[in-house]
Amino acid sequence: MNNVIEINDLLFEWNNKKQFSLKIKELKVQNKQKIIIFGRSGSGKSTLLNLISGILSPTNGTLCIKNTEINKLSQKKKDQFRANNIGVIFQQFNILNYLSPLQNILLPCFFTQFKKNNKEYFYDRTFALAQKLDIKKNILLQNNSKDLSVGQKQRIAILRAIINKPFLILADEATSALDENNKNDFINLLMNLCDEEKITLLMASHDTSLEKNFDTSINLEKVLL
Amino acid sequence: MKILINIAFQSLLSRKITVFLTIISLTISIVLFLSIDTLRLGAKKSFFGNVKSGDLILGARSGEVQLLLYSLFQIGSPTNNISWESYQQISKMPEIDWIIPISLGDSHKQFRVMGTTKKYFEKFSYRKDKKLQFQSGIYFEDTFDVVIGSDVAEILNYKLNDNIIIAHGIASQSLHDEFPFKIKGILKKTGTSTDKLVLVSLEALEAIHKDWKTGSKLLSNTKSKEKETKGLDLTPKEITAAVIKLKSPITIFKVQREINDYQIEPLQAIIPGIVLTKLWQIVSITENIMLSISSMVIISSIIGMIAILYSNLNIRRKEMALLRIVGASPKNIFTLMMFEAFLISFFSIIFAVVLVQIASFIFFPLLDRQFGIFLEQKLWNARNLYFLNLVLISSLLVSIFPSIQAFRKSINDGI
Ligand SMILES: Nc1ncnc2c1ncn2[C@@H]1O[C@H](COP(=O)(O)OP(=O)(O)OP(=O)(O)O)[C@@H](O)[C@H]1O
Ligand SMILES: [Mg+2]
Repeated sequence: MNNVIEINDLLFEWNNKKQFSLKIKELKVQNKQKIIIFGRSGSGKSTLLNLISGILSPTNGTLCIKNTEINKLSQKKKDQFRANNIGVIFQQFNILNYLSPLQNILLPCFFTQFKKNNKEYFYDRTFALAQKLDIKKNILLQNNSKDLSVGQKQRIAILRAIINKPFLILADEATSALDENNKNDFINLLMNLCDEEKITLLMASHDTSLEKNFDTSINLEKVLL
Repeated sequence: MKILINIAFQSLLSRKITVFLTIISLTISIVLFLSIDTLRLGAKKSFFGNVKSGDLILGARSGEVQLLLYSLFQIGSPTNNISWESYQQISKMPEIDWIIPISLGDSHKQFRVMGTTKKYFEKFSYRKDKKLQFQSGIYFEDTFDVVIGSDVAEILNYKLNDNIIIAHGIASQSLHDEFPFKIKGILKKTGTSTDKLVLVSLEALEAIHKDWKTGSKLLSNTKSKEKETKGLDLTPKEITAAVIKLKSPITIFKVQREINDYQIEPLQAIIPGIVLTKLWQIVSITENIMLSISSMVIISSIIGMIAILYSNLNIRRKEMALLRIVGASPKNIFTLMMFEAFLISFFSIIFAVVLVQIASFIFFPLLDRQFGIFLEQKLWNARNLYFLNLVLISSLLVSIFPSIQAFRKSINDGI
């Protein structure tokens, strides 16, 4: 089976809000596919990504990630599963200013994989990847992340998303805060890394000009019942 | 867990100013409460510490409080004297273990002169059976020897064998300058009114007042009358009051009744503990008001802390969402919030403890000298530790609410 994401008869409703519901009959994503999700504002792109990440649980239907029905896992297992298997890139990158760039990148490891015997490995991995993305060691090691440039922030955000070797990266409007140059750099970087690390990519966006970089596009409004 | 502690710390540090102000406000309120409470208890202790030695105080009939204040604290207006004969009569009562006569009325500079006997030094005790001790010298041997309290020695800078002159009455210009006294002993600090006393023998008081029978000094004036008094009968004619210790406390009311029914002159016996308690109840209303005000201040700063935690929830929504995405559970988010509240109140308490400790070094001696409130340096008694724990626990309890809010939000908040 090649599908890493399988959605069947999914229904999601907010507890406190009846006017919005997300209904998807079927959605399949194959391994290493790069998919861009379009849809007008409020159509539920972020909600869908949150469902896939396991932050939200479907009201009805099944949602299998890598053959695991994640909403059947315990809260703790679900959080671990997400941290181990899914990397996320936020719209404003969401770098914690009070942590060093290095700590920002390693954040997903702190909550999951970090053991005495593999610490070394993740540090090495960070430095190697950072070098590849042209981030100098002294920048990684500075006390806080307040003064990073936008370009540095976007690369730190990408590194944080892939540090744990996830099979899937979710990106929510990750380019909307960037100018044209930064946007292209960002997309190219992301595509290259996903290829190298064999990662499936799911990105929500309004920017139709990005479509050419992806294997497939999904218009959420059409998928919705 | 380690990562949560680390994040909590760094996150607090990144919000230095708000966090610092929150800590300061909590610190100040804790300091306020501790100071007021320490003062209150210290004042009470100093107050009651004067009383330990006797079961009853014998005096002329007047207000209970007046007799108590005058005989124990040398505060307020003088009471009438009682005759030496009555005193002797009373002291023969079989229930009495010991009785110490005291005679007040004269002064030296700003301090009171108290006539008494050797027994005062042997029997008088304060604050749970502490006895008077001499820092130097010994009690009077000759008629014109004095023993002074530690404050008298310190403030007037007196040493052993210095000569002093006693003034007639309180704040009087007329001196008993024909009878110089020699300082024979200096007492150790007690934290009671004894520190501010000049103690002489009853005989000495009798001697210097021989010429004063009409109320003013007769001009019979050879300079030193010391020698003249040698052969005279110096048995006192009257005393101000007497402290009575009974063999058994069971007889206290019986003896009190007998003294109150004494026929020859109007006498009264008061139980100092009871009168002091009555008096303290009046005083303590103010204390209780202060105490409740400072509790309010603590409550308001705890609420302030919670308000800040609440208002931070929205600001930190993204931060929490990120933590969730990278693997933190809603429970972790709750713990994080609680831990922050813990750090804030913990540091407030630490700062408060340090401040109070420093303040105690500076202000305790000052309070003692100015107001006679003697506070023990031992601040961290069970009561205060209990109080600090209470502050910590209640701030944690209240922090549960914003933490639950964060927990709830973090269930839905991700990307
Ligand atoms: N925490 C929440 N609680 C209740 N309703 C929510 C919550 N978050 C989003 N919604 C609602 O869910 C619907 C879908 O929102 P969502 O954020 O998924 O849209 P979107 O497609 O990502 O929009 P945009 O392109 O503007 O980001 C909206 O109607 C929104 O109001
Ligand atoms: Mg969105």
